[in-house]
Amino acid sequence: MIWMLISLILAMGLSLAAKSIDYGTAPSQWKNTLLGNESEFIDPLSFNDLLLSVHTDLFGLILIFILIASLMVRTSRSVRLKMGFLGLGMISLLLYPTALLAVPWVGAVGVMSAASAFILFHLLMMAGGIDLLIALIGRKL
Amino acid sequence: MHQRLLSIMALAFIALALLQSLLGGILFWKTIGFSAEQILAHYSEKSFHGLLEVMLPHTLFIGIALAATLHFLAFVQQINTKVKTAAVSLLYPFFLLDQASPIGMMLGVDLFAYVKIVAFVGFELTLASVWVIVFTNTLKELK
Repeated sequence: MIWMLISLILAMGLSLAAKSIDYGTAPSQWKNTLLGNESEFIDPLSFNDLLLSVHTDLFGLILIFILIASLMVRTSRSVRLKMGFLGLGMISLLLYPTALLAVPWVGAVGVMSAASAFILFHLLMMAGGIDLLIALIGRKL
Repeated sequence: MHQRLLSIMALAFIALALLQSLLGGILFWKTIGFSAEQILAHYSEKSFHGLLEVMLPHTLFIGIALAATLHFLAFVQQINTKVKTAAVSLLYPFFLLDQASPIGMMLGVDLFAYVKIVAFVGFELTLASVWVIVFTNTLKELK
C-alpha cells in the first residue's frame, strides 16, 4: 500500500509536469494553447483534440480519486476533514472537464476555471496521498 | 446536513462517471462514427502495425487500471458476490472485444463492426457502474 501511494503521488506530480509542458505554466500560455493567438500565429486547439485530452485525463483522475478516497475514508481522521477532502476533490474533478469543454463558448473564464480546478485537484490528491503515506509509515491509521 | 452532503457527493460522482462515458461516446462518434459502415471504413484505412500501436498500450494500461478498480470493488462489503462476479465477467470481455474487434474487421469479418459498437457501449456503461458502486459505498463508510 505504501508503494502504491508513492506511485500515485508521483503520478500526480508527473501529470502536473506533463500538463505544464503541453499547456504552459502561466495562465496566458494556457489561454494561447486553448484559444490560439493570432498575433503569435498559434492555432486554437481543435475540439476533437480537446475532447481526447479531457477523456484520457479524466480516466486517470477518476481512478486516482477513487483509490485515494477509498483509503482516506477508512482512516481515523475527523469526518469533517474527510468530507472537506472529498467535497473539494469532487468539485475540482467536475469543474476541470466541464470548464475545459466549455472553453470554445466561454473563452478565458473556462480556461482559468479549468486550470485552477486541475491544479487544485492535483495538489489535494498529493496532500491526501502524503497524509496517508505518513500515517501508514507511522502506523497511525 | 451530513446525509444531504453525502447524497450530493454521490450524485455528483454519478454525473462525473456519466460525463466520462458520454465523452467517450462523443469521441468515438467524432473520430469513427457509430454506423457499421463508418467503423469498417475507419479500420480499413489502418495497417496491422498501426492497430497494434494503439492496442498494445491500451490493453496493458487499461487492463491494469481495471484490475485496480475491481480490486476496490472486492473490498465493498455491502454488495453481494454475484454483482461483483457479474462486473468482472462483463468488464473484461467487453474491453477485450472492443480492443480485438478491429482485427476481426481487418480479417474481413464485417460482423465485428457491430461487435465493436456493443463492446464499446457495454464497456463504458459497465465501467461507469463499477465506479459508481465503489464510490457510493466508499461514502457509506463516512456515516
